[in-house]
Amino acid sequence: MELVIKGKSKRRWRMTVLFTVMATILAVAAYTFLIVKHDPALVNLEERLWPASMEHPLGTDHLGRDVLTRLLLGAQLTVGYGLLSLFAAVIIGVPFGMIAGFKGGLIDRIFMRIADAFLAFPDTIVAIVLSGLLGPGIENLLLAIVLVKWVNYARLVRSTVITERQKEYVTVAKINGLSSFGIMRKHLFPHLIGNVLVLSSLDLGKIILLISSLSYIGLGAQPPAPEWGAMLNDARPYFQSNMLLMIYPGLAIVFVVLLTNMLGDYLRDAFDVKKEVGS
Amino acid sequence: MSILSVRQLHIMGKQNDIVKNLSLDVQEGEWFALVGQSGSGKSMTAMAICQLLAPNLQAKGEIWCGEKNLLTLSSSEIRKFRGKRLAYIFQDYQGSFTPFLTIGQHFDEYQRTHLNLSKKARRQQAVNALISVGLNEDIYGRYPFQLSGGQLQRVSISMALLLEPDILIADEPTTALDSVSSFKVLQLLSKLQKETGCAILFITHDLRHVRKYADRIAVMKDGAIIETGDKNRVLNHPQHAYTNELIQSSPSLRRIPFKLEGVSG
Repeated sequence: MELVIKGKSKRRWRMTVLFTVMATILAVAAYTFLIVKHDPALVNLEERLWPASMEHPLGTDHLGRDVLTRLLLGAQLTVGYGLLSLFAAVIIGVPFGMIAGFKGGLIDRIFMRIADAFLAFPDTIVAIVLSGLLGPGIENLLLAIVLVKWVNYARLVRSTVITERQKEYVTVAKINGLSSFGIMRKHLFPHLIGNVLVLSSLDLGKIILLISSLSYIGLGAQPPAPEWGAMLNDARPYFQSNMLLMIYPGLAIVFVVLLTNMLGDYLRDAFDVKKEVGS
Repeated sequence: MSILSVRQLHIMGKQNDIVKNLSLDVQEGEWFALVGQSGSGKSMTAMAICQLLAPNLQAKGEIWCGEKNLLTLSSSEIRKFRGKRLAYIFQDYQGSFTPFLTIGQHFDEYQRTHLNLSKKARRQQAVNALISVGLNEDIYGRYPFQLSGGQLQRVSISMALLLEPDILIADEPTTALDSVSSFKVLQLLSKLQKETGCAILFITHDLRHVRKYADRIAVMKDGAIIETGDKNRVLNHPQHAYTNELIQSSPSLRRIPFKLEGVSG
């Protein structure tokens, strides 16, 4: 019994830390304009590759731009774009999967063949092809990510709806005269929130990695945008002389992806009813 | 006057017919029991009346409820029918409620679909309905898993009768309950039936359930009705050998005093 309580309070403590850090990052990303003193895009070749100082806490890059400023604005870009594309994917995928799963029959078959067509190619390939076709740029990259990711949500939601719609309470709701839309909204949607939240928080890390890696190879954010992947790319030629220029954005990516994964794990446990009852 | 009349109902699956040439009439305000063993097509008939058959099953025939043939109604027309004039109670009381919604939310949603009442009036109506089945007001805010089986089945009865339907289809409502709870539920159904005057189509496999309350009995076997008639006639003078078998298999209904085979031999 003591062990159980200990485990729970430990989890609560970890949760507090996790959420505090997340909130800090989001706040920093949202309020960069209050902190930032330098222009992230201002080229000043006289100050290039300066080491850390009071004026530039993390030094300057190869064009004399303040690294800390760019890193903070990069948080806004990378996390912001990640959330944006994730949100779009969820908005498209959830209704799609719900309708397919609930209606069944021909609608389901058509919907799911479309989804399969998207699923047939790995994320990165589709993103690269689309960026190649539409031209490099962050908008096209986001479009590509949404196109690749919505399928996951549609499939997840569909499978949940298919198991749930056979349960008696759905029949009862039908007999009580509720419309299909009403049943989906009131009776089925609450079942999905947990799963969708868990999947999306785990996906956020992957999306951030995808944005950064495609920006790194030049298909995503274009210079001078201070996207972390693009910063990595910018710093590549100076790897031997100024290694820190690559380490800062790299660490930032690792840190944020790690956090989103931890958040995903936490949410998964939190929504796991069985575990909750068992402990 | 018959409130529900089923004429030559056929329910066809892919390979075989599940219900064959079934006709029955439920009179206004009566308790009509449909009896038969598992797999005889009782529940399928009930599902066909509500137009809730699985898509791979097809129903043919006529189901008249008032002036409307239910089998020809469009899905939006049947929706108005369900819940308001046609109510249903299930065997599985646990699964009949959405786990995240409170009892009150279940009521509220149902009321909003069919009635035009203020929030306060809806709550009052629901609480009254709960009290009428012998439950407390605080059930309104509870979640389904916090209630016992008997309580849940009472809630579903109160919900089914909320809009005073013409006919209530009770699909083995007591099978999953223990004998005391099921006795109470049956008593309650009978009391409420007298108050509201709705007809009950009571589906069961157990003749003991119908002995006390049913007015008329229809016995079903392999998708067809083999015998219909007044309760006393069917129970005391069964015409069909199968009916007799059913009666013999319910110990408390045996007309001959119970004897051990080996002893009497």
